[in-house]
Amino acid sequence: MRGTRFPKVTMWRVIVAIIFAAGLYATYARFALGFSQSTHLTDPQPWGLWVGLGTLCGVGLSAGGFGIAAAVYLLGFERYRPVLRTAVLVSFLGYMSVIAGMMYELGLPWRIWHPIFMWNRHSMLFEVSWCVMLYSTVITLEFSPAVVERIPWDHVRSWYLKQQHRILIGLVLVGCVLSSLHQSFLGGLYLLTKGKLDPLWYTPYLTTLFYLSAIPAGLAVTVMAVYLCVRSLNVKLDVAILGELARVIAPMLALYGIFRAVDLYTRGALPYMFRWREETFSFWLEIALLVVVPLILLNQEKVTRNPQRLYWTCSLVVMGFMANRLNVSITGLQASSGIYYVPKWTEFAATLMVLTAVVLVFRYAVIYLDILPKNAPQRWLAREGAA
Amino acid sequence: MERTRAILVDITKCIGCRSCELACKEVHGLLKESESKLSPTALTVIEEHGDKYVRRMCMHCEDPACASACLVGALKKTALGPVTYDGSKCIGCRYCLVACPFSVPRYEWTKLVPYVKKCDMCAARQAKGEPPACVEACPTGASIVGWRDEILEEAQRRVLGDAKYVKHIYGSEEAGGTSVFFISDVPFEDLGFVAAPRQPMPALSAAALGDVPTVVLVGGSLLAGIYWITERRHHVAVAEARERTPKQR
Repeated sequence: MRGTRFPKVTMWRVIVAIIFAAGLYATYARFALGFSQSTHLTDPQPWGLWVGLGTLCGVGLSAGGFGIAAAVYLLGFERYRPVLRTAVLVSFLGYMSVIAGMMYELGLPWRIWHPIFMWNRHSMLFEVSWCVMLYSTVITLEFSPAVVERIPWDHVRSWYLKQQHRILIGLVLVGCVLSSLHQSFLGGLYLLTKGKLDPLWYTPYLTTLFYLSAIPAGLAVTVMAVYLCVRSLNVKLDVAILGELARVIAPMLALYGIFRAVDLYTRGALPYMFRWREETFSFWLEIALLVVVPLILLNQEKVTRNPQRLYWTCSLVVMGFMANRLNVSITGLQASSGIYYVPKWTEFAATLMVLTAVVLVFRYAVIYLDILPKNAPQRWLAREGAA
Repeated sequence: MERTRAILVDITKCIGCRSCELACKEVHGLLKESESKLSPTALTVIEEHGDKYVRRMCMHCEDPACASACLVGALKKTALGPVTYDGSKCIGCRYCLVACPFSVPRYEWTKLVPYVKKCDMCAARQAKGEPPACVEACPTGASIVGWRDEILEEAQRRVLGDAKYVKHIYGSEEAGGTSVFFISDVPFEDLGFVAAPRQPMPALSAAALGDVPTVVLVGGSLLAGIYWITERRHHVAVAEARERTPKQR
C-alpha cells in the first residue's frame, strides 16, 4: 500500500491538535512532575478545576440520560424517544470523562479501586464513589445496544440484545435512583464545609439544590447535542422536539429558582446578595445565567420555535450551571481559604482535552452508530396516538 | 465510655522556644528546620501573633470531620484519643483537607506519590504510656497531657481561677469537642483561631446519608409504580384499539 494521503488540514483539526498537544503535556506534567508542577492546588484549596469542572459539572451535565430514559420508559412519553439515544450517549461519555478526570485529580489514582473493599459508610464521598461505579455500569449497559447492533455475528448480537431488553426497565429504574443519589451527593460533599463555604451557597439543602439544577442542565445539554447533530451531521429529525424539551426545562429552572430563593430567605442569607464582594458578582452571574435570563427567553415563542435561539438559550443554562458548581467548589471557599486560586494552564489543558475527546467520540458515534435518524425525516408525532 | 487522652495548651505560658516543633520533627523523622506554617514536614508549629505564641496542630476532634469524610477509612479516631492516618488505604482524594473545620491536614503536593500529613498525637508513644514528644519537650509546661476529663477540669480551674484568662476553652465546644484545648488571655479570634461550628461535623452529612434508604425505597417504588401504570394504560389502549377494529380472519 502506498500513497496514504495526509488528512486535510482544517481549522478545527488544527484546534483539536493543539488541544491534544497541550493536554498531553499536562498529562505528562501531572504524572511525571506531580501536582505542584501541573496545578495551582494548595492546602487551603485542595480541590480546584478538575473537581469543580471535571467532576461536578461532568456528572451534573450527564443528567440528561436518566431524565429522558425515565420519561420514555417509565412515564411512557414516547415523543422523547428520538432523542433518547443521544441523551444516553452524552451521559455515558460524561461518566467516562469523569472517570478519566479522576485519574488526574486523585493523588494515588492506581488505588481507585480501594473503595470497593475499604468501606466507610459515614462518608459522603464513599457513597459518591459507589454511585459512580454502579451508574457507569448501568449507563454502559443502557447504551450498549447501539454498539452491539453492529456486531456481525447474528447469534451473539441477537442473544445480547434480547438479554439487554429483558433487563432494560430494571436498568432504567436503578439508573434513575443511582443518578438521583449521585447528583444530590455531589452537593452533599460540601455539607462538611460549614463555616468555610460562603452563606450564599452553604445550606443544609445543598443535596436538593444540586439535584434540582442537574436535571434542567442535563436536558439543556441534550438540546445542544441534538441541535449540533441536526446542524452539522446531516441528521434528519423534527426539531420541534427541541421546543418540547425546552418547555420542560423552563418550569424546572423556575422550581430551582424558587427553592433557592426560599432557602436564602429562610437562612437569613439575603443581605449577602447585596454586599459589595466578589462572591456577590459571581452569585448574580450564576443566577442570571442559570435562572433569570433562560426563564425570560424560554417564555418567548420566538425562542422556543427557533432551534438556533434555543441552542444559545440552553448554552446559557449550561454556563449558569457551571458557574454554580464552580462557585460552590472554588469562589465560595475563597474567603475562608485566604488564598486566591487561579487554575494553572495545565489544569485547563487537561480538562479541555478530556472534553474534546468526549465531543470527538460523540461525533463519530453519531456518524457511525444508529444514534439519531440520518435518512428519512422521522414522524415522531405519529407515535403519539398509541400511547 | 473509655477515657481518652488530651492535650492542654496554655498560651499564657508559651515562650516560643519551639522545642515542641523540633521534638515533633525528631520523633517523626522530619527535616529539622523550623517552619512558620503547618506543612507536610511540620506537623506542629508556633505561630507568632503580636507578643503571643500560638501552637498549631491537629485538634483531634472527638467526632472528626476528616474521619467521616475519608471514603476508605484511612483516618480514624482511635480508642485512646488520637486521630490517626493510615497511608496504605489513602487514595489521595484530599476530601479530608476540604472537610477539616480547622484546615489542619497537609498534602505532599510536590511528591509523585503524595500522602496526607498531620499530627498523630504520637499515638504510638501514647500507646506505650509515654507522653507526646511535643509535650515532653515543653520546658514551661505550656503544653500538658492527661486524661481528657481531667485535662478539661484543669483548664476550667485555670480559666475560672485567674481573671486574666478569656472565659472560653477553645476546643471544648468547637466541632463538637476536641482532644486538644487552648486557653488564652487574648481573645481567640485575635490569635488566628477559626470560629468552627459548635457541633460534631459528621452530623452535617449524616442527615443526608440517613435519607438514602428512604430515597431508594420510596423513589424506587414510586418509579416502579409509575412504570406499572404506564404499562397498564398502554395495554388497555392497545386492547381497546383491537376491539374497535373489526376482526380479520
